[in-house]
Amino acid sequence: MRMKAAWQNWLEERYNIDEFKTFAASKLVPSHRYEIWYFTGGIVLFLFIMQFITGAALALYYIPHTEYAHKSIIEIVTKLHAGWFFRSLHYWGAQLAIAVLFIHVFSALLLKSYRKPRELIWISGCKLLGISIFFGLSGYFLLWDERAFAAVRVATGGAGDLPLIGGFIKTFLRGGIDVTGETLTRFYAFHVSILPLVTIFLIVMHLFLVHYHGMGLPRSEENRKHGETPFFPNIFYKDLMIWLVVLGIVVTMATLLPPEIGKQADPLAPAPENIKPEWYFLFLFQTLKLFPGTMLGFNGETIAIILVSFGVLFFFLIPFFDRKSSRGEKSPLFTGIGLAYMVYFIVMTIIGFFS
Amino acid sequence: MRITSSLVTRRTFLNTLFGGWLLAFFSGSLYSLIKFAFPTIDKEPDFVVLFARDFLPIAPNSVKSFAWGGKVGLFLKKTNGAIFALKGVCTHMECNITYKPEEKKFYCACHKGWFDDNGKNIEGPPPKPLEFFDIIISNENLIIVKKGVNIDPAKI
Amino acid sequence: MIRKFMLMIFFVIIETTTAFANQISIEVFPSTPYDRYIIYEMLALFWAGIIGLVIIIRMKLKEIERIQRMESTEKEEKKIPLLD
Ligand code: FES
Repeated sequence: MRMKAAWQNWLEERYNIDEFKTFAASKLVPSHRYEIWYFTGGIVLFLFIMQFITGAALALYYIPHTEYAHKSIIEIVTKLHAGWFFRSLHYWGAQLAIAVLFIHVFSALLLKSYRKPRELIWISGCKLLGISIFFGLSGYFLLWDERAFAAVRVATGGAGDLPLIGGFIKTFLRGGIDVTGETLTRFYAFHVSILPLVTIFLIVMHLFLVHYHGMGLPRSEENRKHGETPFFPNIFYKDLMIWLVVLGIVVTMATLLPPEIGKQADPLAPAPENIKPEWYFLFLFQTLKLFPGTMLGFNGETIAIILVSFGVLFFFLIPFFDRKSSRGEKSPLFTGIGLAYMVYFIVMTIIGFFS
Repeated sequence: MRITSSLVTRRTFLNTLFGGWLLAFFSGSLYSLIKFAFPTIDKEPDFVVLFARDFLPIAPNSVKSFAWGGKVGLFLKKTNGAIFALKGVCTHMECNITYKPEEKKFYCACHKGWFDDNGKNIEGPPPKPLEFFDIIISNENLIIVKKGVNIDPAKI
Repeated sequence: MIRKFMLMIFFVIIETTTAFANQISIEVFPSTPYDRYIIYEMLALFWAGIIGLVIIIRMKLKEIERIQRMESTEKEEKKIPLLD
């Protein structure tokens, strides 16, 4: 007890603790019937933190070189103490993070949380979604097995179909004209250094903006009376409980379903049968399949990629197109568009999964 | 007529100078960084040299792979003994193809594309036929040359 | 009855994981039954820890809410003398 008091004194002499306390006490969160969706953001944050920790642990042993990448992972899985578990945890953490991230984004879309003045929150969130997907692709590639190799060849080749900048992007991602060891080092650099830094920056931005504007309210709830719950400790404790359960789920998945490791990648070997991208790419993959090889004399793939790019760009800029919501009016058109995006994503993913 | 005082105040002048200088300084630095980050592109090879004894004796109706730069090349011997060399990469999305001796066709597992043994795309998504190379045999060497490239085998 | 059922579920889970393990060439999961037993035990223990924590946090939350409610009624009561 004496120790604690002394420590408190030491702090109080230097910092204005009361200011923090009043700040913490003043943070209120509106309670309403959609509030459950607001917890998805917290879950994603928790999973990201977990990815940082498990990732740092794996980075102690992983070797980003064509000769050793695959072997070092097998080493991690078979020789290290609980190595299989931490790799599996990193894998399932990533899967779940992206899944919950999609839920988070779609709930924000349908509740129109992006409307004025919160446009920049939406933008930063979309960037985080894109980065997470790139995280997934680069992490998958680090395994350096047949499937990862073929998948990355197809994915980066697809980017190459974009007109004008496509070739540039493709070469930049691959670190040359082909997917080789250069690509492995590059993706490693992205996965463990560049993307994490950008992610931290964007998460801080995102959280700061959410705090600055306060929690958004769905339009339908705006005119109703509703209570306000203090963030500390009520919401924080609720978050904590959810995080614990999520942790339990991830750990269970990691234990029961450790992801497999395929044969080491060989640039000269034929592609394995039936390659499928990770599930969050399936909707893209399925979309590309809809287009024939050539359309009106143009490369069908190029047309598909252009259309997809426009779709993504529109999604990204939705807050600026949805003028009605910004004015605080009802905007059924954009509810429809949001639903269409969601249904398209889900249906295409399912078709891709079972085809 | 003479303008007694300058139209541009000292302050705007300095601000423009400062802004411009900053812009030039940082875009210069950034340019060199990006140039560093962008890989120096290595071209696909014009030809590769292989040992003839490794390839010529293969069984009819089979293939043997070789490295064509970072990609895979396939050396094909048809049933009648005629030999060919081609790039073993699907023209659709660059997956590596396999030869199916029973059907005498090339198969791409990525999206189920088929090519016949002359490289023509006959089924599935591939938009173009496979790329074939020329073959030159000189002494010990089997030289695989990109079509349209002239090389002098005596110099190798 | 319930015990039997739980045991059944337990074995179904184990069977499926071993089935997965048989398909693949590289062992991504310890293969000796003893190791597996320990792992499942650990998992159960982990869940027990989580559930315990959740219960404790719930209790704390309830307590905090009770105090908050008390405080808010107190405030209202303080307002009453102002009325007369
Ligand atoms: S890459 Fe060969 S069929 Fe698509």
